[in-house]
Amino acid sequence: MAKSLGIFVTNPDNWRHVMGITKAAKAKGSKVKVFFTWSGTKCAKLDEFPALCELADDVSICADSYKKMGYEVTDVPAGLTEKEMGTQAQHGAILEDYECYINL
Amino acid sequence: MSEYKKVCFMYRHKDYTIDGMRSALGLAVENMYAYGAVLGHEMDTLNEDQQEALEMLRDMEGEIYSTETVNCEKNGVESITIEELGEKLREMTNIIPYGIK
Amino acid sequence: MKILNVYRSAPDDTTKKLVEIVTRDRDSDSVDLSGDSPDYDALVDKIYDADQTICWW
Repeated sequence: MAKSLGIFVTNPDNWRHVMGITKAAKAKGSKVKVFFTWSGTKCAKLDEFPALCELADDVSICADSYKKMGYEVTDVPAGLTEKEMGTQAQHGAILEDYECYINL
Repeated sequence: MSEYKKVCFMYRHKDYTIDGMRSALGLAVENMYAYGAVLGHEMDTLNEDQQEALEMLRDMEGEIYSTETVNCEKNGVESITIEELGEKLREMTNIIPYGIK
Repeated sequence: MKILNVYRSAPDDTTKKLVEIVTRDRDSDSVDLSGDSPDYDALVDKIYDADQTICWW
């Protein structure tokens, strides 16, 4: 059984790594959760973002960070639902519930 | 090792430091030991809310450290050398180089 | 304890010093992510094999 993997994203320049690692982990049958915070939330506006939401088991962003990046919290990015506009508790959930972890 | 997670964030870019401290506080309220280390740059002066967040982090046995004396003087964070930080990192369950350098 | 160090750019003196201390007397491996075509499949295998992954700046 493949291990589960949590990915914590703070730097939008790492988007290609987020996609690359998620694709590779899903190909191994892993459960993958991704949480974006601070400027990492800019990734939610990328054309490929909905594809990540389809691929990963759980994707959420920090709503407070998203707002600080200049977006309206009511402007929920394609691929997410309102409840996935989360808090830092999502990062805590990754650390507690997932076997492996990488920050990007 | 403790059953609780011990997490240390490291901040090397001014634009990421204050928010990174918020991430540390976010883990502290989730019952983790959360620390932050400000490396190689001068932070902005913490406002009242941010100072309060630092105090909350300390109430939950967390701490913010810095290798830069100026940050210890202006924001009251704890002084640490790179060597001391390295030793501290060895005790962590998770080490998080945050943002950009 | 096996540490996996992942580098998103060439490690500078600060990163090198921290890696040296963190990995002292421990098993460790590293992956360079700064190239054009990282091998993500191999990276994920290494993440699963390690006890702790640190992705440096």
